[in-house]
Formats: sequence, C-alpha cells, structure tokens
Amino acid sequence: MQALQTAFKQIAGKHGLGAATFVGVAVLIWVIFLIALPQIAMLDYSFRFNLPASDVGGPQDVYTLDNYAYFFQGNDGTVNTLDIGILVRTLIAAVFVTCIDILLCYPIAFILAHSATGVAARMMVIGLIVPFWVNEILRAFAFRVLFGATGLINGVGMSIGLWDQPVDFIRADVALYSGLTYAYILLMVFPIFNAVEALDRNQIEAARDMGASWWRVHWRVVLPVAKSGIASGATMVFMLTAGALAAPQILGGPSSLWFTQLIYQWFNESANWQRGSAYAVILLIVCISFVMMLMRVFKVSIGEIGR
Amino acid sequence: MPGGNPSGIHQAFPQSVQPFFESVMATKDIVLDHVSIRFGAYTAVDNAHLVIKGGEFFSFLGPSGCGKTTLLRCISGFSDPTEGRVLIGGQDMKGIGPNKRPTALIFQNLALFPLMSVSDNIAFPLEVRGVGRKDRRKRADELLEMIALPGVGDKKVHELSGGQRQRVAIARALAVEPDILLLDEPLSALDLKLRHHMRTELRTIQQQVGLTFIYITHDQGEALTMSDRVAVMNAGVIEQVDPPESIYNRPKTSFVASFVGESNAIEGKVASQAETLVSIETPLGRLQGQAAGGRQYKAGDDCILFIRPEQLSIGDGLPNAVTANWVKEEFEGNSRQLFLEANGVPLRLSRVNLGGTADTRSGAVVPVGFAPDQAIVLPHGVLAGA
Amino acid sequence: MNRGTGGGAVAAGFSLLFFSFLFGPLIIMVITAFNSSSFPRITPWECFTTEWFAVLFANDRLMSGLLNSLVIAVSVVAIAVPIGLAGALALSELSSRLRAVLYTVLITPILIPGVVLGISTIVFWGALGRGVGAEYGSFFFDGMFLTLAGQVTFISAYAMLVFLARLQRFDPILTEAALDLGATPGQAFRKILLPFLGPAIGSATFLTFLASFENYNTTVFTILSGNTFTTALASKVRHGTDPSLSALAVIIIGVTLIGAIVHEAHTRRKEVLRTGIARRSRIYGNPVLKTLVHPLTVFLILAGIAGLATWQGTRHDASVCKQQVLDDKRARQQELLEEQRRKMQEQQKTTAPVSAPAGAAGKANPSPFGGAFSPNGLTPGREEPAPADAPAKANPSPFGGAFNPNGLKPSQ
Ligand SMILES: Nc1ncnc2c1ncn2[C@@H]1O[C@H](COP(=O)(O)OP(=O)(O)O)[C@@H](O)[C@H]1O
Ligand SMILES: [Mg+2]
Repeated sequence: MQALQTAFKQIAGKHGLGAATFVGVAVLIWVIFLIALPQIAMLDYSFRFNLPASDVGGPQDVYTLDNYAYFFQGNDGTVNTLDIGILVRTLIAAVFVTCIDILLCYPIAFILAHSATGVAARMMVIGLIVPFWVNEILRAFAFRVLFGATGLINGVGMSIGLWDQPVDFIRADVALYSGLTYAYILLMVFPIFNAVEALDRNQIEAARDMGASWWRVHWRVVLPVAKSGIASGATMVFMLTAGALAAPQILGGPSSLWFTQLIYQWFNESANWQRGSAYAVILLIVCISFVMMLMRVFKVSIGEIGR
Repeated sequence: MPGGNPSGIHQAFPQSVQPFFESVMATKDIVLDHVSIRFGAYTAVDNAHLVIKGGEFFSFLGPSGCGKTTLLRCISGFSDPTEGRVLIGGQDMKGIGPNKRPTALIFQNLALFPLMSVSDNIAFPLEVRGVGRKDRRKRADELLEMIALPGVGDKKVHELSGGQRQRVAIARALAVEPDILLLDEPLSALDLKLRHHMRTELRTIQQQVGLTFIYITHDQGEALTMSDRVAVMNAGVIEQVDPPESIYNRPKTSFVASFVGESNAIEGKVASQAETLVSIETPLGRLQGQAAGGRQYKAGDDCILFIRPEQLSIGDGLPNAVTANWVKEEFEGNSRQLFLEANGVPLRLSRVNLGGTADTRSGAVVPVGFAPDQAIVLPHGVLAGA
Repeated sequence: MNRGTGGGAVAAGFSLLFFSFLFGPLIIMVITAFNSSSFPRITPWECFTTEWFAVLFANDRLMSGLLNSLVIAVSVVAIAVPIGLAGALALSELSSRLRAVLYTVLITPILIPGVVLGISTIVFWGALGRGVGAEYGSFFFDGMFLTLAGQVTFISAYAMLVFLARLQRFDPILTEAALDLGATPGQAFRKILLPFLGPAIGSATFLTFLASFENYNTTVFTILSGNTFTTALASKVRHGTDPSLSALAVIIIGVTLIGAIVHEAHTRRKEVLRTGIARRSRIYGNPVLKTLVHPLTVFLILAGIAGLATWQGTRHDASVCKQQVLDDKRARQQELLEEQRRKMQEQQKTTAPVSAPAGAAGKANPSPFGGAFSPNGLTPGREEPAPADAPAKANPSPFGGAFNPNGLKPSQ
C-alpha cells in the first residue's frame, strides 16, 4: 500500500495529477474487475453443484469437490481415463507443436536477423505478418481445403499416383497439427528474432573465421543468445496451443477431442457451467505449472515473456 | 548570510568586481547551506557549503561520479537536499518544483525535443506559459538571431549539427529568461575542435546576457578557461573553491593538486619547518617546498610534495637536486615529456619544444632539481586517479 | 542473403519453403473461391464463377455478426488502448520489485487460455448480476458487454506491450527538461510524452482492433447466444463448408494486401524524408514520381484498379459465364450425373470407410475427368489472374454495390 502511494505520488509529480489518477483508476479496474475477480469467481463456481436457478443460494447451494472428483473418477468411481487421456494428449500435442514451431522459426528468425538485408528483409517481415491478418478461422479453413478428402493434397497425390484412395488427414490429425503449427508461428518468430538480433554479426563471423562449422557456431554462439527468445516464444505458443479451440473444432478428427472442446461441451452442450469451470481451472493450473516447470528447467523468468 | 561563514569565499573573489556584485546582484545569490544528498546509505554530496554570486560564471569540477550532477539537480529542483538548504535570492527553495525556480538547466545530452522544430523547441517555455503563437515565433527568431543561427527555425532538431544543437539548447534555456543557467557537461558530446570553440562562445554569451552560469564539468580545461571561480569536488566533498589561477597554483588539498594539471607527487615525512619553507624526508632524500596556505607542520607528519613537470629542470647544482634514471621520452608536438625514475618514484619532466632533437640518453643518469618556492607541501591525502 | 552467416543457398531454400508453408494454404483457398464446385477445392476444376461472393453476402448471420464484431472491436479499442497505456505508465514508474509483481499480473491474461478467460468472465459478471439482483436482460447477461469485458482483459495487455516497448525508448530527461522550462507535469505529459507515444497509439489501435475482431476462444463463450463475425464463421465452417468462405478470404486478403502495400509506401516515404535523401533520390526528386509513390496515391491507384477490375470482370463475367453455361451444357449435365454418382459413392465411403469399392471409385475419379478438366482447370488466362486480382474480383458488380451489403440483398 505504502509502495502504491509512493508510486502514485511519483507519477503525479512527473506526469500530473490527472495522468496519475487515470493510471491508478485504469490499472485498478483492470487488475481487480477484469483479471482477479473473474478468476476467483470461476474458482468459486467450480466448487458448486449445478443447481436449477431456483435453488441457487438455497440450502443445497454448498461447496463440493464433485466437479473435480468427476475429472479423476468419472461417475462410477473408476479412473476417468477418457478425460485424463484427453488432457494428457492435449499437452503432449501442444509440446509437439511447440517443438515444430521452434524448429521452423529459429532458422527464419536467424536469417531475418543476420542474413537478409534491405528489401529482402522488409519483404520477409511483411510476408510474416500479412498471413496473420487473415482470420484465425479462415486460416484453419484453408487447411481443411488443403487436407480434406477431396482437398488439394489428396487430389494431387492421387492424380500422380502416390496413393490411390483419399488419405484421411483429418482423422490422422495431420491437418490439426499443421494448422496449429501455422497458427502461432508469428509468436515464435518475433521473440527469437528480438533475441538473436542483439547478437553482433562480428561474433558469428569471428567464430566462422576460427574454423567453426556452422552448426557449431549456432550451438555455441547463437543458441545461448536465442535461448530467452525461444523460451518466451515457446511459452506463448504452448499456452495458446493447449488453449486453442477453433483449430481443434475445425480440423480435429471426430474421435480425438482437445481438452478445450471438453470444456466447451460442458458449457454449451451439457449446460453444466460448474463442471466446465472446474475443467477450466484444471486446464489453467496444469498449463501454468507445466510452463513454470519448464521455465525453471531452462532458467528463464516470466519477466522475459512478451519482450 | 544564513548559516555558516562564507567570508573565505568572498575573499577569494576578485576584489575589483566584488563591490559591484554585492550591490547589484545580491538578490540573485545562490546559497548552498550545508547541503548533503544521500541515496540510502550512500552520500552523493557531503555538506556542500558555499555562496555563488549573481552574475558569476561558476564551475564545479570533479571526476565522473563525484556528485556534480546530483548537486546540480538539487539546485534546479529535481530533488531536495537530504540535509541543509538551497537558497536562491535569499528564499529557501524547499518544495519548489523545477518549473517554479528561476533556473534553467542545460542537460548533459541537451534534451532537445526530437518531435518539434527548432523554433518550437525554443518557444516551448513560452508555449507552456500561454504566450500566443505570434509572440512565440517572434521571440524564437530573436533568440535564434542571438545564437547566430537565423533561419533554421523550421528545421527539425536532427537536421542540425552538434554545435548548432548546443546553441539551440542554450537559446531554449534563455527563452525562460532565467536568473541562473545550469549547464551539465554540455560540451562533452562534441568533438575536440568544437569543444574549444564553444568554450569561448559560452563565455561570450554569459557576458552578453549577464546571467549566473553554474557549469559542471570533469574537464579542467573547460573549468579553468571559462570560470570566474571553480569548486573542485571529490567523492561528494567540495575540496576547494577558488578562482582558476589559485586552483592551479595554490591547491589546498592533495586531491586538487593531483587532479588539476599534471604533478609529480613525492611522499615523505616532515623533518622541519622554517616560516613557510618545509623540509621533508623522502625516498629521494631531503627536499624542500612551500607549506600551502601557511600551514604549520610538526616533525614526523605524513605529507606529499607536489612539483609540476614544467618546474623540474635538468642540470647540475640545482636546489633540491635529485639523481634520476632516464626511462623514456614522448613527443607531444609543443612539448617533450621526459619520464624519469628515482629510487622507485616516477618523475615526469616537461620541456617546451623549441625545435631541438630528442634526448637519447637511454639508461643514462639525469641530474634534476627544482626551486623550493615552486614545490608545494600538502598533508597526506587521496590523489586523483588513485 | 549474406555469406558466412547462414549458408546462402540453404538459407534461401529454407526461406522459400517456409514462406510456401505460410502462403500456400491461403493461395489455394483464394483460388477455390472461383471454382463453382460446391466444396472448396481446386483439383476437379469445374467452372470459373463469382457466385460465391453472392452467397457470402447473402449470409445474414455472418453479416449481422460482422456488425456486432465491428461494434465490439471499436469499443475494445476505445477501452483497451487507454488501459494498456495506463498499465505501461504504471510499470515504468514502480520500484523494481513491485514492478515485477505487477508485470506478472498484467501479462497473465495473455497466457491464460482464452477459453478460461471467457468462462471466468461470464461466471463473474453473472454472479455479480445475481448478487445485485439485476434483471436477466441487464448488461450483466448481455453478450456484447460480456465479450467486451472478456476481450479487454487480455487485449489491454497487448496494447500495454506495445506501449512498454515504445516507452523504453523514451528519454525521461525530456520530461524533466520540459518541467525545468516551466511546464506543469500535466503539460509535459500532453506535449512531450503523448506525442512521443503517438506511433505506439496507432499500432496499439490497429493491434487491438485486429485482436478483438479475430478473437474466437473467449468470444465464443462470452457472446452467449449471440454471434460475432468470427463465431458465425466458425459455426459455418463446423457445419459444412462451401467456397463462400474462400470468397471471404479473397476479400480479407485483398484488403490486407492493399493495406500492407499502402503501409509500406508510407514507411518508405517517411524514411526517405527523415534521412533527407529525398532530394538525391531519383524517385522522390521527380515531382511526378513523388506524387505517384505517395501512400494516398498508391491507395487510390490500388482501389481504382480493384474497382476497374471488378467492373470489367463483371461485364466479362456475365457474358462469359452464360456462354460457358451454353457451351458446357451437355458436358455439365453429364458431369453432374457422374458427380452425383460419385458423391453417393463418397457418401458410402464415409459411412463405411472400410468398404472395398471405395478404392475403385477413388481411382476412377481422376482419370475420366482428368482429360476433361485439365484444359479447363489449367487455362492460365482464367485461373491465374484470380489471386493477383483478388481484391478486384472480391466485389463483382452483379452482387455488389460491392461494399454495400444492403445493396446486395435483392440479388439473392
Ligand atoms: N538516483 C540515484 N540513486 C542512487 N544513486 C545515485 C542516484 N543518482 C546518482 N547516484 C550516485 O551518486 C553518485 C554521483 O552521481 P552523479 O552526480 O551523477 O555524478 P557526476 O559527478 O558524474 O555527475 C554516483 O555514484 C551515482 O551512482
Ligand atoms: Mg553527470
């Protein structure tokens, strides 16, 4: 509180009372009404029964662990392998997509920062950004066009005789993984680019000069610098992939659900908001602990995210 | 005078101008009354206590990090002293913000507003005071005229050269019509030639507008050439306040003696003192010098004898004769620097270049000496750069 | 490409592959917009058509969603940009420990899955609404308001990041200089800091608008029973697709490209003017060329080309299409028959994927049509201009007072 007051006075002294009031009020509203309270409300909600509106606030409206118990045990007390399996699969797939994005984006970020110059570099930046002005849904749709049973890949593949009946890329989740990989490329390229750009080109040239092979240059000189960018990008891509809903809905196979789709079903199909909230809390906690764990392993701090 | 005894400072001021200032400018004096500024446990300015007279060109000279900027920001109102008071024209400045003080600060990096034209920069102080567009423009043109840059008003700041920006910053500061102009190492970003040129120019502008200039620098050349008086600072402490000649010729502490100009420092112990002539026991034998400021030493006191390179001479039979070994010689254009060594003490000797050839006495023994009244004996203390 | 740093040919090759991955799907989607096949595809190319644009504009749900999306996006910009600015200013003034805490708090909305944000928003405002005994129709239960609240939560953080990046390059000495020259803190804020932040306000506005307009994960929960453009789009994609979505992509990509080119012209011009090489540059030294590369001129030219091509394409289209229908009538009928048969087979195949004949059908598919379609599908004159003239063809006039959706209704 003391510190907040000091900060307020400092802003008032520097930018005027009006600006300080604006900053204070806006930040308070944001933190309290938009960030903190909704999360708390959701947490509270996840511990309640799904009651008809007339019973809400009545004697039956008590706290319960039911919704969480369901995730682990289902209705019959056995292990809920289905839902747990979906969560695990979602996480593994998100890690997989994140890794692919790193492999794709690291070279591009490096090329952009150190090889491309002038017009080429400008065109590359524009080329990177423009596809992401296109709606997320349409981008997923494009992959459906590409990978559908009568899509281009099947058409070309069959007409040149690579395979003779349509391959179901959708069921095999190829379309989904490609679409997810595509969806967040931008969020991987720019953090790595920002990190790698700081590297002095002379360092690389000096290392090359001393006879290091190019992969050794990357391993010893570039990667250590790129690490913070990779961590930042990976965190964003992982969280967004694990939390993705549109791409799995559009590109996901009929038999394999994404965990967010499960949450969506609790809300929109089963009208059980309480259980949906519990599942959302589970997703949030699992994702954040996973990221925190990785950040500890790779020794990066949250302060570096979003740079 | 509130608090303390500034009489010593008054004495040091040139006698001829003093009455004039006392009568006319007295209201614009700046008094630092036992000012200390701390950041946590760290003392950036330690008990600064002096009076800067109105209309004076006053410099603070000291190595980087000694607290000059901190003190200047305190005078201009960006911070209040932790202890003591700042008075301007007899008024305590505590709680008065930088925009309410009769001071204008020229920042180390000039802080010209990059998004505004030159005119808008200069007229900014008038704009925030609600002066109309036309009057602002007129005043900006006048000021541009004054700094000899007519017609650049519509340019952007980045289109100007370093020296031109310098002058624009001064014009902008003068547009407020301040009583006191504070300058924080304003020339440090310029190249050598321009720096020398701007010294003269600043001094001219100061005399033209008759304001008090408080000038901060780590460059003794700037301080000594422009100032009426110089305060030498070290580690937050003001060591000496005097006109440039006194600072150079009669340093009062070992720091000032070693920081201002080149000096050979020879450490020793006092053997005896007769009037102002002190004999000291050094690794080079017994040497004699002047006790600075008529100070009295006891036998056995730790002290340092300072002798300037240009006051050392080569030859036999000189007073304070020392036998030194020749180490090397450097040619500096207008002078030659001889580096000698005697019993582990490095000595430097400077000779004006009159066109002769270099001495090549490698390894030879050189007899040197100096007049006792040109050497200064000061109590033992820190040396600059040590 | 540079020697020694990445291996020129490898770098170029990789970049080429990478950008094919980025643009390939989009280009293919664009092409499918002009194929009359009712499923978006290229390979069995049927007939060049612009009818999908009409289908698109006739989709009421999409169009009303578009209106909602625009209202929401504008409101989000109006709220999230100031909040983001406030967050950035607060962060730049806090002591380092508090700063780290607040940064973590303010950045989490970006990391929290959008789904979770959406849920927490409706749960919280719903509970609050019930708590204060609000009517069911009040704003606590209004999809537009909830979407606004949910989106502002994390989009503000995007804006904040933009401002933080800009603020890092602000020299606080400038504010001090203004104060020293007699400005009040408020004046220094308005006359020095805000103008400096100007470009960041621009990009934050753009970013927040786009983020709001595109958002799906949060909105699909918060909009409740309503629709935004994106949620309507998603439900359309999920329940059967047709090339009208490709037509939409054509429009969006067209607008995007025009925007990107105009923006590029703008930055180049600014750079040239800033570095002062304008007078020496051959283009900017010549008054005619100089006007020609002015962003406004570029925009007008592009818009003009788009309009002209639309008009031309339409006139051309009407006759050509009719001609084509007449010419291909017979082939078409046959084709329809066969297609029906094939569709049935396909249906069989999907209901019983293991059934053996499907293989035969699949194999049969390309060969009979292969000959018939390849001249058609590969006619460069028809197909190739499609992506290039994308913005132009986005608004063929039979369906279009083009930019006026209302004008389109009668045509349906
Ligand atoms: N706001 C501050 N907080 C802590 N220490 C400071 C602050 N400002 C300056 N200092 C310290 O005070 C000392 C003097 O700094 P300064 O006045 O800038 O020196 P200079 O003489 O080079 O202008 C330095 O050691 C600096 O680190
Ligand atoms: Mg300084």
